[in-house]
Amino acid sequence: MPEVITPEKLSTFTVALIGNPNVGKTTIFNRLTGLRQKVGNYPGVTVDKRYASVKLGDQQATIIDLPGTYSIYPNSEDEVIVHRVLNGLDKSSKPDFVLAVVDMSSMERGLFLVTQIMDLGLPMAVVLNMADTAEEQGIKVKAHALYKALGVPVIQTNARSNKGINGILDLIGQQMFEKPTSFLDSDKLLPAELSANVREKFTLNNTYQAYQLIRFHNNEPILSQEDHDWLHEQVTQADFDLKATQIKETQERYAAIQQVLEQSVEKTDIQKKRLTDQLDKLFLHKIGGYAIFLCILLLIFQAVFAWSAVPMDLIDGFFARLSGTVAGWLPEGVLTDLITEGIIPGIGGVVIFIPQIALLFAFLGILEDTGYMSRVVFLMDRIMRPFGLNGKSVVPLISGIACAIPGIMASRNIGNWKDRLITIMVTPLMSCSARLPVYVILIGIAVPATNVGPFGLQALVMLGMYLLGVVAVLVTAWILKMVLHFKERSYLMVEMPMYRLPRWKDVLITMYSKSKTFVFEAGKVILAISIVLWVLASYGPSSAREEAIAAVEVPADGASEEAMLDYRHNLESAELESSYIGIAGQFIEPAIRPLGYDWKIGIALITSFAAREVFVSTMATLYSVGSEVEDELTIQQKLKSEVNPNTGEAVFNLATAISLMVFYAFAMQCMSTLAVVYRETKGWKWPVIQTVYMTALAYVSALIAYQLFS
Amino acid sequence: MTADKIKIGERAIIHEILPSELTLNIMEMGFLPGKQISLLQRAPLQDPLAFRLENTVIALRKAEAKLIEVTLEN
Repeated sequence: MPEVITPEKLSTFTVALIGNPNVGKTTIFNRLTGLRQKVGNYPGVTVDKRYASVKLGDQQATIIDLPGTYSIYPNSEDEVIVHRVLNGLDKSSKPDFVLAVVDMSSMERGLFLVTQIMDLGLPMAVVLNMADTAEEQGIKVKAHALYKALGVPVIQTNARSNKGINGILDLIGQQMFEKPTSFLDSDKLLPAELSANVREKFTLNNTYQAYQLIRFHNNEPILSQEDHDWLHEQVTQADFDLKATQIKETQERYAAIQQVLEQSVEKTDIQKKRLTDQLDKLFLHKIGGYAIFLCILLLIFQAVFAWSAVPMDLIDGFFARLSGTVAGWLPEGVLTDLITEGIIPGIGGVVIFIPQIALLFAFLGILEDTGYMSRVVFLMDRIMRPFGLNGKSVVPLISGIACAIPGIMASRNIGNWKDRLITIMVTPLMSCSARLPVYVILIGIAVPATNVGPFGLQALVMLGMYLLGVVAVLVTAWILKMVLHFKERSYLMVEMPMYRLPRWKDVLITMYSKSKTFVFEAGKVILAISIVLWVLASYGPSSAREEAIAAVEVPADGASEEAMLDYRHNLESAELESSYIGIAGQFIEPAIRPLGYDWKIGIALITSFAAREVFVSTMATLYSVGSEVEDELTIQQKLKSEVNPNTGEAVFNLATAISLMVFYAFAMQCMSTLAVVYRETKGWKWPVIQTVYMTALAYVSALIAYQLFS
Repeated sequence: MTADKIKIGERAIIHEILPSELTLNIMEMGFLPGKQISLLQRAPLQDPLAFRLENTVIALRKAEAKLIEVTLEN
């Protein structure tokens, strides 16, 4: 009988997976761990920590997938993590071993990172990946010679075709990592006294670790102020020139690597035209390149809006039925109302976005995996630059058409803080999918269904709303560029990897784990806001409320079913009007009157804070259509016929509808986005500025729109 | 001359990375004295530039390419 291994008996250890970008590191991670991956957080930063536990014999290995980097000197948020984990500054994810992945056709740059890790003195092993492409390019690596030169185990793999993965598992299982001797003589870099002092104070094993600490003490918030000051004092005393030293280190390191490569790599010059170069002629063509990019964008649009409609309807219907069923099971009461009218629709409001988000992530995953994404950066950089943006801002902005949240999260790989901040600030202006139902209803009410040439006028107005978002992004970004002053210099350095076919399994795993992050990040906030809004909409000052409810005419006994339904709808509407939210709507009416809105629209503006599309159901309740009605036409007809009791004019004329659409296009009505911006910018400063500028922009633009059209 | 002046298809040898706050970033990508680079592509608006360095292709803006001193190879 096999021995049952209890968790306590397992010996556990941690392996950090590290490598340059585009070396197939994530593929290896996926192959090693499959769907056991978990996403966590590193303390103090926003980068997701991807890790998984793998059982190997009687041992349990936790494998951490570190962000791709060219060196242990960080240039972006992602790379800061690598620096911290390797230097043991992050106690929660200190690795026992390092597994470094190197692209065999780009050995020099790979070994740059490898030898830095060697100098830190961490036990490690090297995986030479992508052997097939290297061979095609006439590159052969003598693994044994390399092993002898480096002093750490070296294995060859081809992760795409699954070759060598078992070898990696064996290596991890048997812990065949070796503690290297240092590659460069760090004592030549750092004055002996400085080194000795720092090593003693922080109990470090070697000079290179001391050097790292000195290099980063200025911008490493993990260090205490006291340690920081002490280090600063030491550096000043020793009159140590950090920058010059680092340049010297880089040059010497590359020179030493060159010697290693001469012994261990054989190159035959193959003068073959690379397929990638041929493809680039097409994809980077000055007209064709943009045409292809536009087609891909249209395809993503199509997927996010058309293909996802079916699952979204199913989800919508499912949650509506669930509310009904649960209401039938539970006894009538406040708790039941909270569950069926607050919590279930709240969860539904998050889940309904999953098809769009998942499809978006799938597309972005494919574009990234094939190598096309860096071409988009290349094509768009010069166009985005005058606006204070960067080629890398394109991905966040495209994501913004589904939802600003994944867009803002995708801004992390913009190394330059100013470019990244501007991208974060403007991404919510892209028309996200939550605005779509609002546009649909309002266009249906106000815009006649006539044709302009071959195009429907309604469709043109819809397109106009999306373009309005894009224009607002560019103009606002340009203004921010003019207003914000940072010392940091804007730059772009992107590797353009070879084109490859997408690995579907990797795409699926990315899609799954990113959608999961979205659901939990945004879900928390949306659910909480939904519940708060439900409470505010269900309760009100009791006397006014009773009066309002009593004023609803009760139909006589034996009234038709229709009359009873009307009564119920009128009652619902009276209840909402006399609730706290109803009162708030009336309170803000003077402020929104110049935009052409009455207090009922004011209520809808407030409830939209949970998610913009709540506008539709709130309007339905307010105008006594009954919130359960799914038919948009019914709501549209009802709203169209609504007349302002004071003026006798239609509430929803063209001017009001346009003004409302413009307001929804620009206003920051999304708490989840604010929460994410808070997380990404580490403070309330930027989310507050964002809310203020977007609200001001929305108000002024809606005012202008109303005046123009009325 | 500097790397932004290289024409498509021409090869050049790097002999210095001019001092700036980006010197290290450029070096870390493998642009080092003695290395051969060639210009593969210009973006449609003439900027950024895609350089071939060893077996990889790296895109740099003109402003960064100006920091790389090169001599043309015959």
